[in-house]
Amino acid sequence: MARTSEGVARGLRRVPAYAPPTGEQPAPPTGRAERKRPENGRRKKIKYSLFALGSGLDLPLFVFLIVLLAIGLVMLFSASYAYCYYYYGNSYFFIARQAGFAAVGVVLMLLVSTFDYHQFHKFAHLVFGIAVLLLLIVLVLGKLMGGVTPLVRPKNDVYRWINLGVEFQPTEIAKFAVVLLFAHMISQRADQMKTFRYGFLPFMGVLALLVVLIMPEPHVSATIIVCLIGIIMMFIGGSSTKWFIIFGGIAVVGVAAVVMFSGKFDYAMDRIYGWLDPFHPPEGVDTWQTTQSLYAIGSGGLLGVGLGQSRQKYLYLPEPQNDFIFAIICEELGMVGALVIIILFGLLIWRGVYVSVHAKDKFGMMLGLGITFQVGIQAVLNICVVTNTIPNTGISLPFFSYGGTALMMLLMEMGVLLNISRSSNVEKT
Amino acid sequence: MGVTALLVFVGFGAVVISLFRWQIVRGEELSAAALDQSLHSTTLTAMRGTIYDATGTRILAKSASVWTVVLEPVYIYDKESKRRLISSGLAKILDMDEEEIYEKAGQKGSYFTYLKRRVESDVKDEITAFLDENDIDSGVRLITDYKRYYPYGTVASTVLGFTGSDGQGLGGLELQYDNELKGTAGRMISAKNALSTDMPFEYEQLIGAQNGYDLVLTIDETVQSTLEKYLEQGIEQYKVTNGAVAIMMNVNNGEILGLAVKGDYDPNDPFTVYDEEQRKAISLLPEAQQDQAYSDALNKQWRNKAVSDTYYPGSVYKMCVGAMGLEEGVLPENYSFTCTGNMAVEGVTGGIDCWKHAGHGTESFHDGLCNSCNPFFIRVGQLLGPSTFAKYREAFGFTEQTGIDLPGESWSIYHSEEDLGPAELATESFGQNFSITPVQMITACAAVANGGYLVTPHVVNRIVDENGNIVKKMDTGYRRQVISGKTSEAISQILYDNAASGTANGGYVMGYRVCGKTGTSEKIAKWNEDRSKPMEYIASYCGFAPVEDPEYALLVFFDEPQGKENGGLTGGNAVAGPIFSAMMEELLPYLGVEAQYTDEEYEALDLTAPSVVGLTLAEAWKQLDELGVSYSVIGDESEDSILVTEQIPKTGEKVPRGGKVVLYTNGFSEEETLVEVPDFIGMDLANASYTALLSGVQVSANGAGATAGGSANIQSIAPGTKVKQGTVIVITFVEDIQTDTFVYLD
Repeated sequence: MARTSEGVARGLRRVPAYAPPTGEQPAPPTGRAERKRPENGRRKKIKYSLFALGSGLDLPLFVFLIVLLAIGLVMLFSASYAYCYYYYGNSYFFIARQAGFAAVGVVLMLLVSTFDYHQFHKFAHLVFGIAVLLLLIVLVLGKLMGGVTPLVRPKNDVYRWINLGVEFQPTEIAKFAVVLLFAHMISQRADQMKTFRYGFLPFMGVLALLVVLIMPEPHVSATIIVCLIGIIMMFIGGSSTKWFIIFGGIAVVGVAAVVMFSGKFDYAMDRIYGWLDPFHPPEGVDTWQTTQSLYAIGSGGLLGVGLGQSRQKYLYLPEPQNDFIFAIICEELGMVGALVIIILFGLLIWRGVYVSVHAKDKFGMMLGLGITFQVGIQAVLNICVVTNTIPNTGISLPFFSYGGTALMMLLMEMGVLLNISRSSNVEKT
Repeated sequence: MGVTALLVFVGFGAVVISLFRWQIVRGEELSAAALDQSLHSTTLTAMRGTIYDATGTRILAKSASVWTVVLEPVYIYDKESKRRLISSGLAKILDMDEEEIYEKAGQKGSYFTYLKRRVESDVKDEITAFLDENDIDSGVRLITDYKRYYPYGTVASTVLGFTGSDGQGLGGLELQYDNELKGTAGRMISAKNALSTDMPFEYEQLIGAQNGYDLVLTIDETVQSTLEKYLEQGIEQYKVTNGAVAIMMNVNNGEILGLAVKGDYDPNDPFTVYDEEQRKAISLLPEAQQDQAYSDALNKQWRNKAVSDTYYPGSVYKMCVGAMGLEEGVLPENYSFTCTGNMAVEGVTGGIDCWKHAGHGTESFHDGLCNSCNPFFIRVGQLLGPSTFAKYREAFGFTEQTGIDLPGESWSIYHSEEDLGPAELATESFGQNFSITPVQMITACAAVANGGYLVTPHVVNRIVDENGNIVKKMDTGYRRQVISGKTSEAISQILYDNAASGTANGGYVMGYRVCGKTGTSEKIAKWNEDRSKPMEYIASYCGFAPVEDPEYALLVFFDEPQGKENGGLTGGNAVAGPIFSAMMEELLPYLGVEAQYTDEEYEALDLTAPSVVGLTLAEAWKQLDELGVSYSVIGDESEDSILVTEQIPKTGEKVPRGGKVVLYTNGFSEEETLVEVPDFIGMDLANASYTALLSGVQVSANGAGATAGGSANIQSIAPGTKVKQGTVIVITFVEDIQTDTFVYLD
């Protein structure tokens, strides 16, 4: 798809639709009459009624994410029903909740997509403040006070959730907060990004603050994701490469020193051995989840055992509806199915990047890229974990993993991306 | 844009490569591993076959369902309250230590650990109830298993053997026929989830267990029990210290009706040492030696002496050497030999003595055998020569295993034809200086008796499946003919005379035409080890009946009777003879051999009690008068019309000549009708009869010693037993004839 010269003026004029090469006559009659002929009428309706502000959203992006969401729901149902059956006595327990959140999420996404993203400039610091506050609550009420309030309760001995009737992880908000804040900062300091003082240090300060708040939960994977998003945004935003190299070096040495001298070296090495050969882990390293995941993937082969036919989900693979849902996908749909989903993710990311890069200003671009990368990083890291390409750490798969609030957050972020697409300089189909 | 494209490319590229590696390259391996963990194969234990005695109705060994309790720690090790609950609950039910169970339940990652094996159904029900009550659906499993029961306890234990903890045969028939008995275990393959409950998908395959085949033995429980009863008496009576063997065989087809080995055990609990003295001795040993001693003692009690131990057959062997002589024609009808009490043999300093140092004088073959004359048989051996002797020895089966279907059959030890020098030939000719098993001896004896055919001894008659179809019938054919029918008949006749009035008269049984030969073997090897101790002997008696058409052979064998303690009895006739006689006396009627009496015997013959129960006293008296049997009445006898409610001896049982039938009516206490059996041992017939009269019991005399002034050696009911008045006790009398020979070769 080529960039067109005509899409520049914001929201005033739609790029003409690609006319099908048939001899069919475009139908000019009134809207009332058109409804009886959906082939011709549908497009107009989309243009003018569903998508407000006089500007359409990027249809490929929308289609990709809706398709992913639909497949995600189907696979969640398949992956979770044995688990639900045994632990909740109701195979529909998870899918019903997730579908509800998805429905609300899609509505919210569409609403957000009509909300001019420029307004977010005003909220950048606020959102970040809220995220920090929530993280502080988790840290103080959870880790420091031992979960005395019902607001913060441990799950598997870690404090990551806040319970306000519905549970959610403040880190999900933090991820968006970083994206938003960095997009804001980068767009504000476009000329100063090469400097250390304006283009590097404040960003690093923000990340450092988040690391301090998130690491102790403990939540290594969220820390990594937040940092990765932040660093990639800084990089694209124009921060000087040399600072990355210098700080990267210091960070590596620092982490290595901590690991070496904190007495956790042996443990870390054992974890690495367990990762390198999960079938024969060192004593004390539990690779059950990884091996079960690999069993599932291996069982799938090229074409899979068939939708719903997974055996590994029968409690072998712990919590198959969460981080390891992709293993069940591989088992049921095989390499072919897994590749289709990977390609869908790839398309989504490509389109997200495409839309973002063509956003009409720096803020839109950075915001869009940040959101897109958040999805991309999570998807890639998740699949890497599932396939034991990197050591096991808890990263959920966007659109697939169970988690209503997280899904809702994600869809709202997609709404932001869609809003960016409405005004970005791409050909709308 | 370039950076992002690179990132996307690297990220997804890595993912795709990984996927390819796991799904395509290692897919099969992983999928097999996954299947392996989700397919649980449950072994369905096959039920071990039953072992029946020859009647096909009495069960000697059978399996019954029991349960094995198994813990699955993987589901409970980290669930403290459940682990504690299970430990305390099971500890109570199984009577185990709670902490021990708790520890076992803490084995992380273990799917299977034995808690208790073979609990009975009631315990299993308790466990099931406990699990239901507390809603425990994982962590404890009950597995069907089988336990082996031997309803008759020690009876035939060395023949039956026993099974180990996994139901595998460890001895005797259980080992020999393990493959037939054990059946084929089945398997149930089903898909399970990680909690080991069934998974709702359709993969399930059942291969049913094929239960083991049943064995029907040739061993008759009645015969076996009788043999064992008298062996025990003999051991007690003659202070036998090293066990005893009795084998009864059908001479015509090799079926073994009874094979008793004493110094045995109860297969229901084979790991207990049953010899009390041995047990005491072990407990006195230093700790370090106890295990070894215990295991030696167990091996000894499990050992089937009849097939696994060898001995010098002694004079019993002369029946075979005699048969060789007759068959080869070296002993013509008018052959005679003069025994001077000693015979010079090349290589033996001072020659070889006859047991009768004065010598037997000039004797025919008939007398030589009846006298059990050593020089006579040395001469027979010389006449045969080493090569013919060796040929027959082989033909009689003394140089090969008999092929009996019991494990651990020993090989015999003998001098090969080349090594059969004058001294060796001389000593082997009267049964010394070579070792065979008791089973070999009785098999050869059967050949002497049955017309010369060497049979294969066996204890299993047939193998049948669950539905009673015969899977295999044992071959009862003979292996070869060793001697002619004529020779067989001639030897049988001499042995008949021998048992009636010769050196083997200890085995005489009135009316049953028993043929027999005694044997007394020195345990030279043992004596050579420590000559400060007195020589130990094996006293044996081997014979068969009836003489005109031999059917059953019996070998009785006592290892180390203590002459010093039993009044000097170590010889075959004195020790094994009476036992042989008592066994034959009881078993031949049971086996349907009809009695035929000589006139002389008829005079002394017992009468058979008629049936008078249910008759009035008057009718009963009349009937008994007609038979010439006297009577006495216990209870109310005020009127003739009172009915007889019971009689002793019972209908069909024997009443000694001059004895009586005790009639019971009513109005007496059960207690006052019981009397105690006195100890008759050592008495002569007159004394025994008198003692019996005083005690209110009756005596029936058995054995040639009864009339010849012999002493009571065996009584059919043990002293001290409470019996009803008038009960007949069979006493076997025996004359002490010592025929052992001391042969010492340098």
